[in-house]
Amino acid sequence: MNDSPESSLVAPALLLELPAADRLAPAPPEFRQSRFHRLADRWSHLVFLACSLLVVALIGGILFFLAARGLAAFLPLTGNTGRTLSFAEVFLSTDWAPSSDHFGILPFLGGSLAVTGLALLLAAPTGILTGVFIAKLAPSWMRSLMRQVMDLLVGIPSVVYGIFGLTIILPLVSHSFLKDAPASGFAISAMILSVMIVPTIVSLATDAFEGLPLSLDEGSQALGSSRWQAIWHVLIPAARPRLLTACVLGLGRAIGEAMAVQMVIGNNPQWIALMREFTDRAPFLRALFTPAATLTTELVQELPNTPTGSPWNNVLFAMGLLLYLLTMVLILATRRFGRNEVA
Amino acid sequence: MKIRFLAQTLVAGLIALSASAQTVTVMGSTALGPIVKKAADDYMKLHPGVQIAVSGGGSMTGLNQVTSGGCNIGISDVFATPEQDKTGIKNFNIVVQPFTLIAHPGVGVKSLNAQQAEQVFTGKVTNWKEVGGKDQKIVRVIRPESSGTRAVQKKEILHGQEFSKDVLIQDSTGAVVTAVATTPGAVSFVELEHLEKNKARVAGIAYNGVECSNEGVKSGKYPIFSFGHAYTNPAKLTDPKVKQAVDGFLAFILTPAFQQDVVLKAGYLPVAYVKSLKTQL
Repeated sequence: MNDSPESSLVAPALLLELPAADRLAPAPPEFRQSRFHRLADRWSHLVFLACSLLVVALIGGILFFLAARGLAAFLPLTGNTGRTLSFAEVFLSTDWAPSSDHFGILPFLGGSLAVTGLALLLAAPTGILTGVFIAKLAPSWMRSLMRQVMDLLVGIPSVVYGIFGLTIILPLVSHSFLKDAPASGFAISAMILSVMIVPTIVSLATDAFEGLPLSLDEGSQALGSSRWQAIWHVLIPAARPRLLTACVLGLGRAIGEAMAVQMVIGNNPQWIALMREFTDRAPFLRALFTPAATLTTELVQELPNTPTGSPWNNVLFAMGLLLYLLTMVLILATRRFGRNEVA
Repeated sequence: MKIRFLAQTLVAGLIALSASAQTVTVMGSTALGPIVKKAADDYMKLHPGVQIAVSGGGSMTGLNQVTSGGCNIGISDVFATPEQDKTGIKNFNIVVQPFTLIAHPGVGVKSLNAQQAEQVFTGKVTNWKEVGGKDQKIVRVIRPESSGTRAVQKKEILHGQEFSKDVLIQDSTGAVVTAVATTPGAVSFVELEHLEKNKARVAGIAYNGVECSNEGVKSGKYPIFSFGHAYTNPAKLTDPKVKQAVDGFLAFILTPAFQQDVVLKAGYLPVAYVKSLKTQL
């Protein structure tokens, strides 16, 4: 097990082993007797408690704010200065035109799910196979180099990916594949998102494979399996729970990403209606290259520019709440996978 | 040395803090930000006792904040909503901003008349050859629904009709210009200053045969412009000293000297240029 920061995210189960470490290094008795150190202990205990309470209060406060403003769209709460909307007209409608009093958010929900799903489809196999390579196949100098490169990639600001996509990838694809039609849409956004989440998946997948007992690898090879058979039939199945965790964490990062996607997706809230109207391309191309929008892109564009308390503003907060719940489900899912992990 | 410098700064800061009883806070439009910041710097030089803090956040943030009393002056590219007007906030038109149509350089069209421009954006026209250009699909690049520029465009170019569903939306004028410059067949609508800064990347399109220019707006030949607004909330301006500073600052922005020297240079037009007062955009 290495000590990269991600490893603490991977397996909450590992935390349970901490008391054992405590037993290994008992404090000498005379140290405990000292009055000064007893006081220091008590005060530091209080400081730690205060910090953790502060964090909990902050997160709880933000969640409360989000929920209060979001629910104000549907209930006559104090934060609502316009009309109250019904759940059906918000969650079951594809028509988003706030100036004309239509607030259907399905295009954004659908857009978020589609773009993150596509991104995962691209990133998961790449990331997992790179993880196998780094953990099991690469020579040691390359292993440390690859790890460092992956850590560096995580640190690139998302707006850089966005600008790269907007000024290089979009014109290139539009010019070479689409006869100069705009290339904005799910395809390019998912591609850029996948580049952004691959490092996360690679780091976690590498940890997963390095954490497997050597006996699995050695045993299968001793029984005569080839390198490929050992990886495909033994190592990947054994690491599956943690690989799933890696994918879900990647998914969590992708679904919350706003900036990079916003710059290349085209941000068209009417994309579902538009896809029905379009007939000038094959359905497959149409689905990939229709300018679309997601929950995050709409939030980042409209939230600061809508009047407080209006139904429009409240629905945007409701979208934020929905996004929060989606992320919450993903986090709970990683917990679940972590618990099922074989020791 | 360092410690002494720090101490001096600290003392100077404290003195400034205790001496400057009036701090005026300005929030809102990032487009108007630079010009208001310049006005604030000039005004503070003339009136050493006054501090004016200008921050961004967007037009609607400015309007929301001035309505709730979160800032003294809210600057905005758009008029306040009827609900916000009901709270008694007061509008000052501080500058005039001309808008122009722009397109990717290769579309082969130099001018659109009012009807063509409308049809390009409503989606009745889908190819540049229908308005005298190349055989190239029209790609409409517009701003998000809450944008002030989009509101101006909808009223002035589309005469209140809905935009086509086939659009690309970009969050900021900078991103719009980049998208137009890199997408063949793209057309959009931006403030004149953004065309002038990007002449090499995008082409301006004349409206009814008139190219957008300061002179055109002044003479009344070029009809598409909007006001930059500063809103105050008299109900929340209870401190007479702050009120005096706010009034003085707004009066300063509207002095002929500031309007002629600074506003013109920054790509806006003096309010006095526009005689026909458009009250609501």
